[in-house]
Amino acid sequence: MKNYRSYISILLVLFVFSSCNDFLDLAPVSEIGENGFYQNESELDAGVIAIYDGLQQVPEVEFAVTDLRSDNGRTKTSEGAWAQFENMNVDPTNATVSEYWSYNYNAIFRANKVLENLGNIEDGAKKSQFEGEAKFVRALCHFNLVRNFGGVPVITQIVGPTDEAFFSRNSEAEVYDAIKADLIEAVSLLPGRSEIGEGRATVAAAQTLLAKVYLQLGEYGSAKSLLDAVISNPDYDLMGDYNDVFYVENNKEIIFNIQYINDNANDSQNFSYSMTWAGRAGGLNYPTLDLISLVYPGAVNGTSAVEVDPSTVPDKRFATLFYFEPKANNRYECGKWRTDAASPENGGGNDWIVLRYGDVLLMRAEAIMGGGSSTSDGTAVGDFNKIRTRAGLETVTSITKQMLLDERRIEMAFENYRLADLVRFGEAVNVMTAYATLPTGDAGVSYKFTSDDLLLPIPQREINLYDGLEQNPGY
Amino acid sequence: MRLKLDTKVNDIISFGGSLNPSYTNKRDFPIGVHDAIRNIGWLPIYHDENTIQYVDRKVYPDVQVGDYAMDRHFDNYILNGKEVDISNTSNQNPYAKVVEREFRTYDFKLFSNVYLQLKLADGLNFRTSASASYRNRQDEEWTGSKAHRNGIAAMESHYDTDVFTHLTSENLFTYDKAFGKHEISAVAGVAWEKWKTYSEDADGVGYQFDYIRTLNAATTTFVSTGITEESLHALIGRFNYSYSGKYLLSLSARYDGSSRFGADTKYGFFPAASVGWRVTEEDFMKDNELISNLKLRASYGETGNNNGIGYYDAIGRLGAVTAIVDGQAVTGFNPLNLANYDLGWEKSVEQGAGFDIGIVDNRYTLSVDFYKRKSKDLLLDQDIPSVTGFTEATVNIGEVQNSGFEIELGAHLIRKNDLNWNVSVNMSHNKNELIDFAGASGLISYVDSKRPAEYIALEGQPISSFYGYVYEKDIPTEYLKNPYYPIGAKAQDVYVKDLNGDGEIDTDDRAILGSPYPTFVWGVNNSFNYKAFDFSFTVQGSHGAKVRNLDPQYYENQFSSNMDYISSFPDADKVVEKIYTDLCVQDASYVALRSVNLGYTLPKSLASKVGLSKARVYVAGQNLIYLMADGYTSFNPEGITNDDSPLRGGYQVGAAPIPHTVTVGVNLEF
Repeated sequence: MKNYRSYISILLVLFVFSSCNDFLDLAPVSEIGENGFYQNESELDAGVIAIYDGLQQVPEVEFAVTDLRSDNGRTKTSEGAWAQFENMNVDPTNATVSEYWSYNYNAIFRANKVLENLGNIEDGAKKSQFEGEAKFVRALCHFNLVRNFGGVPVITQIVGPTDEAFFSRNSEAEVYDAIKADLIEAVSLLPGRSEIGEGRATVAAAQTLLAKVYLQLGEYGSAKSLLDAVISNPDYDLMGDYNDVFYVENNKEIIFNIQYINDNANDSQNFSYSMTWAGRAGGLNYPTLDLISLVYPGAVNGTSAVEVDPSTVPDKRFATLFYFEPKANNRYECGKWRTDAASPENGGGNDWIVLRYGDVLLMRAEAIMGGGSSTSDGTAVGDFNKIRTRAGLETVTSITKQMLLDERRIEMAFENYRLADLVRFGEAVNVMTAYATLPTGDAGVSYKFTSDDLLLPIPQREINLYDGLEQNPGY
Repeated sequence: MRLKLDTKVNDIISFGGSLNPSYTNKRDFPIGVHDAIRNIGWLPIYHDENTIQYVDRKVYPDVQVGDYAMDRHFDNYILNGKEVDISNTSNQNPYAKVVEREFRTYDFKLFSNVYLQLKLADGLNFRTSASASYRNRQDEEWTGSKAHRNGIAAMESHYDTDVFTHLTSENLFTYDKAFGKHEISAVAGVAWEKWKTYSEDADGVGYQFDYIRTLNAATTTFVSTGITEESLHALIGRFNYSYSGKYLLSLSARYDGSSRFGADTKYGFFPAASVGWRVTEEDFMKDNELISNLKLRASYGETGNNNGIGYYDAIGRLGAVTAIVDGQAVTGFNPLNLANYDLGWEKSVEQGAGFDIGIVDNRYTLSVDFYKRKSKDLLLDQDIPSVTGFTEATVNIGEVQNSGFEIELGAHLIRKNDLNWNVSVNMSHNKNELIDFAGASGLISYVDSKRPAEYIALEGQPISSFYGYVYEKDIPTEYLKNPYYPIGAKAQDVYVKDLNGDGEIDTDDRAILGSPYPTFVWGVNNSFNYKAFDFSFTVQGSHGAKVRNLDPQYYENQFSSNMDYISSFPDADKVVEKIYTDLCVQDASYVALRSVNLGYTLPKSLASKVGLSKARVYVAGQNLIYLMADGYTSFNPEGITNDDSPLRGGYQVGAAPIPHTVTVGVNLEF
């Protein structure tokens, strides 16, 4: 019996103290462990899809940091954190500013992740396409950041928490150099519209965005040749009806959009709902009376809006731009992004249009005007008149800088370009100073505007985390 | 319920097991308390013939008598020819918000365990035990047609199921032997543990009626499931030695490996040792009349912690995301975190010393312990610049020290045949200090980016310290736009003190405002026995802790524009929002009658007739009396609603009030 027992004892000791290394190596079940991904084309494609998913966050806050800071958009009551943008009194701790910064850098990270792993697949059409898509989005996000914050850190590789060399701000010129480099490459790598799904970057998207960058920098000749290529591209044309541009899915005028669908937990947006009376803070991005009266003076009476029958308005764009809403204390709401989702609060499906053909026509006119104060060049006037005709307005024979600025203001209203246009045309300080002193009915409260207010503050969170980050002047 | 079985088969083998199931069905309070109390106080619950006349018919044409009344119904009222808004909030009536929602939790837990013990030799035993625990928790949340201001459009349901399983196997050799005056007891063995969680979230929206709440009546449903797992492997050893019952030594060690950590850092070694001296066993103290027990002790121990992080944070993980291409959803994968391959155990080293003393036959006892515990390589989510693409990374960083003492006094004040009265008092004091933060000392962080009231982690201070401005005085009412409405509203900003005396109010005028850790905690427990009755009560108190309470932001409507200062206010640069000041860092001290228990034990003769060896009935109450500090303005100083990080403790918004409970029960022993 004793032998039996000691035999069992030895067995038990061996069993008990045997090790089992795999027991502690658990791979996640509902996620993928990183090593071993990005190894083939379909996995890299999944990485590129993730870039577009990251872009979906940007329009959710972009209207606040751009249009609300211009003379086109305002809040309902000019109070609260959202009104900081309207009142040109943005606090560095403002959460929306921090989100805009983080969302853009998150999309840049996703693009860099794909670029880092491109070496794992063989050269070919797909590899070039992925590289072009990643560089396009990386450039777009850097462009968003530099226009709103000034010089920002340029991130062209994966950066970890200890890579402090990358945390400090680059100069505006360095950021634009990086953007141009990315877009020039993207133009050579991206396919045409028919060769890739709607919602993904195409060669025309890269050309249009690069042209916008050139216009921003005053390189008008380079801009024009790119715009010529886009205009002569048969895949894109003006829609006959202005309303259709925004309410027909993936129509021929759209060059690049950020796509959503209705009532989906992962792929819906809430900016549509925010722009209505039921949205946050009683609604955001209401058209200003200043803008409404520019389109049709009859719709404004002193300090309040007047409901008009759109068919009586000469400018056919009125009905699309403005929607009269009694529940918003008889104000006009923005009409371009109205959603028909079943649960509109977080279920909007309207795609956000980043680049479209109508913009391209006006951009070419601007390129031809080349920084001057007017032009009667046939092509430029022809482009301009196409927009006018669609709007039901009479044509012109020559265009001045102010006409172009006003036409852009109406045509491109609520597409987040107004403030950038004012800056590019050199009119930002004049216009916003005058707008700031308008009577209380429209500008909310009279506020003080200085040129420092054209740039957003660097988010306080980022400054708290890295000492080498300088804040913008005036904050 | 608990069932227990122990069997001895023969001299060599014995086994047993226990089974412990429980089930609870609980209805939860569905909204934050701050959300309920911010509505104006005179708002009726339902409209009647009188109130219906004041409803703004342009915006609310369909409201009828008997419907819930909302703040906004009474807006746009023409007063003296001017349109006036009197609402505090656009939300639905708070009574409707609570009553038209039903949030329930159904929790089923089953714990079982079996063991087998073999006697291998004289003094040497082998014991293997296995346990399995199963928990199924279902959360059902229903938001009805009248629960939200958007009515039917906001109806939704959630059916979330979480299934947790936990298996363990422990195999130990034990040796107990006495050689003359030496007594030895040793243990060596291994334990394996595995956890698995299965989560299922099912949501439904697009309901049009209240009749059916399950997802078959929703027009759009979303389902998502996920599984996570974790495992632990530990080698255990312990050795106890005592000489003559006077000198005691205990040594132990654990070698633990957790699946949560990086490939080379999975294991940690945690030794411990303690010594004790029973002075009263010495010849010179053996017959002491007064002192019946005197023991001195000292100890040193290391323990490990792997909590506070996810199961897979050591490796880079990718999660599924979707984007829309050609109007259809397509799946992509995106990195969810920055991998930290060196993630490892958080270690605590504790040194302590103390003594126990008992007098008059242990009728009066006193225990005192001093301790110092240093925790290193804390597992934290460190804030990182967003240019990395992420806002946080999980790292081991920093060193924190907790030191203090604990005292326990016991007295058997009355010891008679029929009547006994025992009192015990315990007190403790703890000091928390951040010793090292690896160059990140002074890190400022906040819980809510929309209300970024700040915390600071500064070396030499508690790891979680409230940081902000110091209140000086209120803004005079003549500088507020509309100081008297909305009713109950208060200004968003206040004057703060110029702490550095430079004449300007800026970030240099911030100071540390306190911490969420109490300096002194005490408790008193009394128990009385009189014949077959027993009565006990416990009072507990805590002092020195503070809590960051943001409820006033809501019920004082601090973000109403009517409370903004006017444009000619001369001191706009000398005021700061209240949430950044010490007005919301409030005193979280309390004294509570934690529990009261009154019981009656049936006479043995009566009990044995029914086959019971003991039967007792009791009535008990928890938190029947709860005293809060004067400076605290909400309902529960212990209610922490956001505890995402050890750097940001003591944060609450809308914490549910302290529940006072009364229970009735029976104890039966067979």
